[in-house]
Amino acid sequence: MRKNIVLLVVVLIALAIAGWWSMAGRKLPDAEFVFVSAAPHKTLDPQQMSWLDEIRIAECLYEPLVKFEVPQLDIVGGVADRWEVDATDHGERYTFHLRSDARWSNGDTVTSHDFVYAWRRAMMPDFAAQYFNLMWVIEGAREFYDWRNEQLLTYEKQDHKSADAAEQLWKSALTHFDNTVGLIAPDAETLVVRLKRPTPFFLELCAFATFMPVHRDTVDRFVEGPDPTTGRMKQMPWVIPGQVVCNGPYVLSERKIKEYLLMRANPNHWNRAAMGNGSILERIIENTQTALLAYDQGEIHWLPDIPTAKSLAADLIAADRSDVHVFPGAGTYYYLFNCESTLPDGSQNPLADRRVRRALAMTIDGKRIVESVTRMKQPVARTFTPVGEVPGYDPPVEAGAGFDPQGARKLLSEAGYANGSLMKGLSILYNTNQGHEKIAQFVQQSWRTHLDVHVELEGIEKKVFSDRRRKHRFTISRGGWFGDYRDPTTFLDLFRTGGGQNDGRYSNPQYDGLLDLAVFERDPKQRMAILREAEALMLNDQAVAPIFQYVQLEMFDTQRVEGISRNAWHRRRLELVRVR
Amino acid sequence: MPVILGIIFAVTFTLAWLVPGNPLESEDRNVPPEIQEAMLRQYSLHDPWVFMQEYLVGVFTRADFGPSLYYRDQTVSSILAAGLPISVVLGVAAMIVACMVGVVAGIVGALRPRSWLDHSSMLLALVGVSLPSFVTAAALLILFAGILNWVPAAGWGHPRQMILPAIALGLMPAAYIARLVRIGLIDAMGSDHVRTARAKGLSRHQALLRHALKLALLPVLSFLGPAAAATLTGSFVVEKVFEIPGIGRDFVNAVLNKDQFLILGLVLVYSSMLIVFNLIVDVAYAWFDPRIELD
Repeated sequence: MRKNIVLLVVVLIALAIAGWWSMAGRKLPDAEFVFVSAAPHKTLDPQQMSWLDEIRIAECLYEPLVKFEVPQLDIVGGVADRWEVDATDHGERYTFHLRSDARWSNGDTVTSHDFVYAWRRAMMPDFAAQYFNLMWVIEGAREFYDWRNEQLLTYEKQDHKSADAAEQLWKSALTHFDNTVGLIAPDAETLVVRLKRPTPFFLELCAFATFMPVHRDTVDRFVEGPDPTTGRMKQMPWVIPGQVVCNGPYVLSERKIKEYLLMRANPNHWNRAAMGNGSILERIIENTQTALLAYDQGEIHWLPDIPTAKSLAADLIAADRSDVHVFPGAGTYYYLFNCESTLPDGSQNPLADRRVRRALAMTIDGKRIVESVTRMKQPVARTFTPVGEVPGYDPPVEAGAGFDPQGARKLLSEAGYANGSLMKGLSILYNTNQGHEKIAQFVQQSWRTHLDVHVELEGIEKKVFSDRRRKHRFTISRGGWFGDYRDPTTFLDLFRTGGGQNDGRYSNPQYDGLLDLAVFERDPKQRMAILREAEALMLNDQAVAPIFQYVQLEMFDTQRVEGISRNAWHRRRLELVRVR
Repeated sequence: MPVILGIIFAVTFTLAWLVPGNPLESEDRNVPPEIQEAMLRQYSLHDPWVFMQEYLVGVFTRADFGPSLYYRDQTVSSILAAGLPISVVLGVAAMIVACMVGVVAGIVGALRPRSWLDHSSMLLALVGVSLPSFVTAAALLILFAGILNWVPAAGWGHPRQMILPAIALGLMPAAYIARLVRIGLIDAMGSDHVRTARAKGLSRHQALLRHALKLALLPVLSFLGPAAAATLTGSFVVEKVFEIPGIGRDFVNAVLNKDQFLILGLVLVYSSMLIVFNLIVDVAYAWFDPRIELD
């Protein structure tokens, strides 16, 4: 009996210790500004990131050459305080002059070599990441990427491999980079970038995460290789709180993956005086309901990631709270049509005829969808580029399909389908659990009612959905697209023949021709006119049926928190936020 | 045990490889094929044999379970090291709740069979078994955090935050345990050596607590094995509702993201834990009941 009790006590003590240990140091740190992110970040390496929640943090930790003034979104100087643009034969040359007082958090000066190092990382297949293709506007960047890929694949196949051979390979790659890529640092305070062709949105790209600098010595310490077998370099994780060196308004002080991230003001930042807060705590709460509870308990100042697809968002709007803020986003929700002549199973594709696509688009009542189905009252979209979000560009709304069931029926019978039920084999593909079902059901019913066209509904899991979209195995699919930078091409490049994002395989040589014409047009107004014409063409061909423009929903109390900018492009300057 | 683990590894590896999807792709964008290819090669994902070889070499020479494909800044080992203690503590807390509540409810029911106390505790047991854990978890959260504001809504850092999740997770095993104890006690009360004890003058309560209980707890002990399994795997739901950074959440997310390194690491860890725990239960069983011998 005594033995049992002793054992029980020992076990309980062990448990208590384990429990205490798992909790130790887990109290949330204090910070002036607290917000919630729904996603635990995949990476904090600026050249590797592609998600909004990561970019939000990168904008605090790193400062690019230029950045955005909020909320007007003018481009202002960041690390660079002035720059010149010159035209070259086929493209442009940007010369950036870095400010002399730009410092890393450890006191080192931010130099152009840091930018070259960082941008070079984004051109190496060894470190490949999603947004690397943004670099391809730079002269020689794409060619270098392909060259390095070839070099590595050849090395893998060869017989004579050794550590020395791999070293030689790497050295020759660096030399080749210096010789062929249009990225030069003539001195520590100047950065010269040669662009392949005129790129009006290049400064916007420079403000993007992929173009942010990294502290060369710190990052380089965590690069391993070259691997003697493959010749590749390998980047080990280097964003370690307390050790990582930042040049942005903040440094990364603490990070508990999936729990929180604490940033403190960077004492060496040149614009320290303009900051509105000295520390930011980002708490990771995946469940929106739980985040809302914590917000209502007073612990959180800002909730930026409220998913608009779920009914919670509509309920919050209906509750008429003063701390709920809804504003448009730079993205479009649309239905994508398979535009090829035959379907995956070999039968004829009824959607190959543009009149059919147009008729289907003309029977989608966008207004009813945003009012009764999503209940978010998003702006109805008739164009693919959202209206009013790209400065200087006026999307051709008149070319888009309005809701007109009668006209649709006429068009459909012209196309040979006087009886809509003759059309077979169509289905709406969507991924489940994100609110797409309701919209799909509504559209299915609309088409049945107005056109007597019967479509199936195919709701599948996210990864399978992406797979089928990419492999072009669908007839109609739901789609959503957000622009990366404020230029129509971020929307219109999707529809180029053979384009990587062109899942519907829309192809119109005239459209491609117009886009090519726009590429080399140096006059901005003329260029926008050409792009407008292109979009009108694509809309007339009805490659997609735009439904609504996305909106964003955020919660914060304007009485308590000032400086949170509301804009469609998610550009934030969190260092300017002030909490009372 | 190594054989079982080996088989589990092989099956998981094959399944994880065959699941459609690409862990390195993004939401609505197609990555250019040449970038996609390079990304796959970074992690040797272009060839299953190369991948398996490098993975096993890493595990056995450096105890390196690889990087997470989804959380690219993290290694699988660091994710496991961060989340495992939390999940284990939560699981153990839930089991303690389950044992305490279950045993007490069972004893009360057996002491006064067919009384209102008995019926109500059995009704509670029925409810505990029938309601899924996310319903209980959500209800508890809304009541105690939302309405009463007794505990913070989310997170894991203060012992107070452990109460609700432990209860939510422990209610179902508690219900089973209550029923097992009650039936076991009523049976044991009728057995020979208990009746002898009663004849020798022990009161009903004393007989129950001193002799019958030990017998009645045996089936509970053998239930602890599968109960631990259910708690470990059921912790995902509770972790999600209460925002607890354990590995239960990671498990399901890893599969949804097709994060092959994390899937393999988690499966190996879970399987080892379950095998070890069942072993402990077997040993404890023999130690508890002198009539049973261990082989």
